[in-house]
Amino acid sequence: MGCFGCWTKTPGKCVIRDDAVNVYPKIAKSDGVMHVSRIKYGGYDTVMKTMLERAIPVQQAFIRILHGETHHVQREVLPKKAVIIAYGEISDEERDVFQRLVARNARNMNFEQYRVIFTSESQLDETVQREVAKWKK
Amino acid sequence: MEKIMVVNGSPRAPKSNSKRYAALFSKYSKNGTSYFNISKTNHLALCGEMEAFSHLLFVFPLYADGIPVTLLHFLKTLEQNPPKNKPTVSVLINCGFLESRQNDVAVDMMRLFCKENGYPFGSVLKIGSGEAILDTPFRVLVARKIRKLAKGIEKKEYQVLKVSMPLSRKMFLRASTVYWTNYGKKNNVTKEQMETMQIEGPGEDEKKTKPF
Repeated sequence: MGCFGCWTKTPGKCVIRDDAVNVYPKIAKSDGVMHVSRIKYGGYDTVMKTMLERAIPVQQAFIRILHGETHHVQREVLPKKAVIIAYGEISDEERDVFQRLVARNARNMNFEQYRVIFTSESQLDETVQREVAKWKK
Repeated sequence: MEKIMVVNGSPRAPKSNSKRYAALFSKYSKNGTSYFNISKTNHLALCGEMEAFSHLLFVFPLYADGIPVTLLHFLKTLEQNPPKNKPTVSVLINCGFLESRQNDVAVDMMRLFCKENGYPFGSVLKIGSGEAILDTPFRVLVARKIRKLAKGIEKKEYQVLKVSMPLSRKMFLRASTVYWTNYGKKNNVTKEQMETMQIEGPGEDEKKTKPF
């Protein structure tokens, strides 16, 4: 929501006490994440984007230099293997923008490895099940 | 002459830096400008207002490497409720990082929206170090670029502009640390408290071992 409360008033805690406060600590503690989202204008659609914006408490306000760029310092966020499943009718241009978005996310969300999988809505369940099965191995 | 609708897509629009950037734009624009915040309840009203403008400037911050969800929600409503005459869309984006290029993906999302929905695309101004730059002597650099953005839109000579603090990364890091430390002080929060590595307070194990 952009209030900077989680950086400068209640560090590490969102001032909005809803379901999000149960989710972002789990994201931080996980060494693997799977994002499943419809694509809109080359980015995550509103549900996933809202969650990612609400996860800002996992970062500090302070800046570090990472791979030659300025980024926020992470709090206790485990390095992650990320699988990003993007679905919908996705043009080549949208794929390109989304790939670049996830590459940026990787720096700000501590992905040590990631894969982006594009699929259709009709193939979504199958794709997710296949990827989850890989985790279980 | 272009008549410009300035839409602030920041989630904290009334208190945002985007509002200050928008005000500078209006100051330098010789065209008539009208300013609007996006709220949860005014999407349809904004879509209706748009009919009266030939140019639309979105002003917003970078959020989680993309466009803020506040703006995304509005774009989806606009997609369903387009004006009959679609204005040319320009973008003024700022991020707190030194590198203005960190805004590129969000700008391309706006380009995609325009392409998919038939809006001509105009100019872009990408601001780096945008959280603090207006309160530093480098404000003049931003003002100059915003004036250039306004002039380009006035002449329909569309361009991609960028600006940031002319500092090395290490100097920026030091300056931003001072900025955020002072921000915390206003809330009676120390730098050490802001630097906590804990998320949502101590974990369960730490709570158990905490002495009485």
